[in-house]
Amino acid sequence: MSEPTAPPADEVLDCTGLACPLPVVKTAQAIKNLSPGQVLELLATDPGVEPDMRAWSSRTGNELLGISKQADVFHILIRRVK
Amino acid sequence: MATTWADDSETKILYVQTHGADDPGRSATPFFLAASAAAMEFEVKIYFTMYGPTLLRKDVVDKIGPKGDQGQPLRYFIEQATSLGVRLLVCQPSLDLNDLVLDDLIDGVEVIGGAAFNDLAASADAVISF
Repeated sequence: MSEPTAPPADEVLDCTGLACPLPVVKTAQAIKNLSPGQVLELLATDPGVEPDMRAWSSRTGNELLGISKQADVFHILIRRVK
Repeated sequence: MATTWADDSETKILYVQTHGADDPGRSATPFFLAASAAAMEFEVKIYFTMYGPTLLRKDVVDKIGPKGDQGQPLRYFIEQATSLGVRLLVCQPSLDLNDLVLDDLIDGVEVIGGAAFNDLAASADAVISF
């Protein structure tokens, strides 16, 4: 389920093994360290992370570029917009 | 100042925690949700009333967590929320109810009264009570 069109990430945030709300909290902190236009790849195993990151991206105005799942790990690409 | 909402343009959520240190399983979820909301760039406050203020006792936050004395202590979840900007509020009657004074609580907690609480609630986008 890879997404060949997805851009490479500028930074990878490994939240595998962490439960809610840590993937959201750490993503919010990590995105602030990027410049607008840069892409963060979040790795997470929390089963609720997909709806969470859709809601988070929508609310914060950052762009969710894609979500894929490889084995048990969600790979979520987010572009910092503002 | 945490006793009013700072920014009219932000989404605002007020959580209300009524459960205290004798019910650890109900202690941490408001902090989880508040941290998530703050990470979504919402303005977030938690109001501790009834037994809620006992969760903020200096001599409690390191001793209990959502699974009692196992796992992360309450201080971890509280600091996760406050580091994202979540503000903590209590009211004086609830301090009295639990024989507490503000100095018994961790730093950063502010005291409001019923009028300020109602004003916060009436102007919040959501009020969520536990």
